Amino acid sequence: MIKLDRSIIRGIRAAQTGADLHVYLRDAVKLEHSTIPPYLTAMFSLKPGVNQCIADQIRSIVIQEMLHMTIASNILIAIGGHPEINTKGFVPDYPGPLPMNIGEGLIVGIEAFSIPLVEKVFMAIEEPENPVHVDPPSMLAAEAHTEPEYATIGQFYDAIAEQIRKLGPSIFVNTTAPPQVVSPLWFSPDRLFPITDPASACRAIEIIKIEGEGTSTEPFQRPGDAAHYYKFGEIAEGRRVVKTPDGYAYDGPPVLFDPAGVWPLKPNCKISDFAEGTQARTRIESFAWSYSNLLNALHDAFNGRPERLETAIGLMYDLRVQAVALMQTDIGGDRGQTAGPSFEYVDTQGGMS
Amino acid sequence: MSYLDSPRLHFIGWFQADVSTINNDVRFYQNSSFVPEYQQLDQNGSWNPEGTGVFRILDCSVTGGYLKGRQLVSAGDDPVIGMTLQNAADRAPGKLVDLDPQQQMVSEIWGMQVRLVDANAKTMLQGEYSPAAFTNLWQRQQTGVRLDQQLAACYQSVLEGVSWPDTSGSALLEALRAASEGDKLSIEFNAYGYGRDSTIPRYTMGHIAGTIGPHKHGEPKHFTVGRQMIANAPNFTQPGGGVENFQARLSDDGQSITADFGNTFPIHDANSGLMDIGEVFLAVMTTNPATPLTTVDSTQIQMIGEVPYLATDWYRQTAGVQTFDLTKNSAASQLLAANPLVLLSPAAAADTYKVLIQESIEGYYVRADSFVYRLDPGETRTVDFHASQFGLPLGNTTINFSSTEGFMGGSGGGKRISPPARPNAAIPSIGTPADGVTWPGTIQTDQNGFASLTLTASTSGPGRVRGYIAGQLYGVAYQLAAQPAGYLGNPMNYVSVLAYSRKEIPDHPTWYRDIQHLFTQYGNLYPIMGRYVVDLRNYNSVVTRLSILKLAFSLPRHDANHMPVTRDLGASDRAIILKWLDSEGQDGLPLLGTPADLPAEADVMVPDAHAAASLADLLPSQGAGKTAVLLQLEKRGLTAPTSDGVEK
Repeated sequence: MIKLDRSIIRGIRAAQTGADLHVYLRDAVKLEHSTIPPYLTAMFSLKPGVNQCIADQIRSIVIQEMLHMTIASNILIAIGGHPEINTKGFVPDYPGPLPMNIGEGLIVGIEAFSIPLVEKVFMAIEEPENPVHVDPPSMLAAEAHTEPEYATIGQFYDAIAEQIRKLGPSIFVNTTAPPQVVSPLWFSPDRLFPITDPASACRAIEIIKIEGEGTSTEPFQRPGDAAHYYKFGEIAEGRRVVKTPDGYAYDGPPVLFDPAGVWPLKPNCKISDFAEGTQARTRIESFAWSYSNLLNALHDAFNGRPERLETAIGLMYDLRVQAVALMQTDIGGDRGQTAGPSFEYVDTQGGMS
Repeated sequence: MSYLDSPRLHFIGWFQADVSTINNDVRFYQNSSFVPEYQQLDQNGSWNPEGTGVFRILDCSVTGGYLKGRQLVSAGDDPVIGMTLQNAADRAPGKLVDLDPQQQMVSEIWGMQVRLVDANAKTMLQGEYSPAAFTNLWQRQQTGVRLDQQLAACYQSVLEGVSWPDTSGSALLEALRAASEGDKLSIEFNAYGYGRDSTIPRYTMGHIAGTIGPHKHGEPKHFTVGRQMIANAPNFTQPGGGVENFQARLSDDGQSITADFGNTFPIHDANSGLMDIGEVFLAVMTTNPATPLTTVDSTQIQMIGEVPYLATDWYRQTAGVQTFDLTKNSAASQLLAANPLVLLSPAAAADTYKVLIQESIEGYYVRADSFVYRLDPGETRTVDFHASQFGLPLGNTTINFSSTEGFMGGSGGGKRISPPARPNAAIPSIGTPADGVTWPGTIQTDQNGFASLTLTASTSGPGRVRGYIAGQLYGVAYQLAAQPAGYLGNPMNYVSVLAYSRKEIPDHPTWYRDIQHLFTQYGNLYPIMGRYVVDLRNYNSVVTRLSILKLAFSLPRHDANHMPVTRDLGASDRAIILKWLDSEGQDGLPLLGTPADLPAEADVMVPDAHAAASLADLLPSQGAGKTAVLLQLEKRGLTAPTSDGVEK
């Protein structure tokens, strides 16, 4: 069970004004972003032509995390706040805890794809308050899960939604896009829409929850499309989740994993790990530079220039392509490892001298 | 004014040019013979098949400056020294793009922003680099590791839309801002020491050294009206005097002359710095000779000064731009009005000098400012020309034009391609049909030495004359009517034009009939995209990435992420692609059509037998692209530039 300090929930409930909620929505933006680097790295580490199914699964999750980050930003903007994305503090220092120390002890790193990574980290990040029980492949139900002792991400969002309802329509001061970010080319209007009042805010929060956790009664975010937690479950179990006469089981079509089809990245690479004037150094710096540019473009998008979202999306593709050269860069040593990406926020272009 | 004026700042660092290399050989544009082996590293001299096209600067910092007659070398002299030069911090870096596989000698930088950034990451000035092609390509580097690009070149352009978020504390920046007009700055840099061996740290990287200075209304963007030193070079990449073309400018008050030696002196290897070629002097002739000279004695020259190119940190602190004071040398000042500059080194005999390079004969010079153009059918573009004599505008003079192949044509690859192309991929002729692009035979300069040439693409376009590759190349040679016999021109001075083919835009474009052959070509040539983002050769893959494709194909050409990165797609092909991406069949996806609609690949209408016969074997140390182009030009009998400055 992913843990969240109860004091955060208490803080949300104590909010008297929209401004009092800003810090929590900034944390929500940070949190939604914080899952993207580890997921993206796992996806990038899958070699093309093999493990395509897994790559597609993770990609669909990453895109939804981007949507969730946008939604959280829009709610923050709607109640008079300003997302702050282009700072060193915005990005977690991987490996480390996620924002708000979520998961209490959960350490999230930047690693190549592996089944244990999905099981122990990604599923932990996405775990709902009360997961719908899904049978392992062709097995009977195991023991029931115990009741949670701590707040979850879902409860964090529930608390925000509840407080927004309590504070009422008066806290909504920027109800249009722009300054909010709405982009039909990338996200359909039923999932990304301007936040204008408590109802639309709560509807948007519900999207974040359902896409991440499913509903309390089923593991799907929409028919046939598992929520994140269960999507990672499908990867870990090697089969899609399907409805069975008794409930749900990972008994659907296979989700195949070929361990040979993964670049052997050194986990948690940092720029300073590599000497200047090496291929690994110039490539990891180049990646971090593009990533930082992406955050700068997103910051602009969420601070009055929504058209900059397209620039940010262009940079996402640049990251994809840069990861290729990086992950094929042998870093020496006897373990056959290659360089991996660093999601450090940098403000210089360097690496050669 | 330009970067050859005061104030100016000098920078040095590295650049990355992550160019893709499968498109270095035109024969790989033929889809019907393309095989996956062509996408392998070092196959057929393709040293970077997964290139992205990115061009960016890195580890680049301001290492010197010049203000009020004083060289600045440290942060104590001016806080701008030590600041970094960077690209945009909020978007993709620039791209380096060939005009065409049959014209690789005018590679242009597109979509690049340049910023000056202080130690706190604060932007002091920023501007958009106006797309520019290199010139003065020569074999600057004498030795190298495997596949080293021993050719070097220089780029001159302007930064446009320059903003100055903060100039406080820097007298140089304040002065630069005051000296510039129209939100523009002049920028020049030299690129050398570029690595192409995938196993070395310098892979896709090279050195960059350059200068930023003021720019004024009406001045050319891509060269400086001034004194043009033209090498006597039977093989144009190996100048006879061992030094490359350069330009100099006499200050408006005549009290100093500034020359740019940034791309002039040879280097041993990629990282060696400048080679010692002995003492070198800049001087002015006491007479105005009608021919290139090889030696002079001390009575024939008035010395201006020694070029201190071997001084410690000289190149680093000046990027090769040197100002010579003339206040105590009135003899030189007066001679400069009507006599050429010469760069000299002492000869064996006493009081004699070897002429390494000499100013253009009679001081005549004419240049097209921009010299790379892309034209859609029916489109007209104007090319700006500036004519001068001894650095002063040459008014009311005639410029003549003719067709040329320049350094265009050929395959860009080696004699054998492995595996051999089946069916054979013929090397297309360029410049046909002759009326694909037209221009007047002469134009006349105004009193400022300025004239415009209008290029007109025929409304029907060139057709599919090159068969498997769309569009056609045209070259426009130019020369001053007044140019004397025996004049040495810069062989890179001609205008390159890519005329796009015309295509009817169907009401309902389908994958098989209208899209597959286009996308397959891009998928073949740029595998980085197909392997990791979207397989453009595959309908099922393409339809999963419609949004990003719509965005990328809609971006303007100056946008770094414009697709295709090569900027070689004509307007009608682009319109067809966008129409198709927006179309919806019954399944909500763009129309597939049927395989029966797949058009047959057109034959090359006029194969270039001469180019085919000129193919040379590529050694393992030789890459496809510029190296192969030069080998082919050599085999085709590249000789001394003719009087119009263009090789025949």
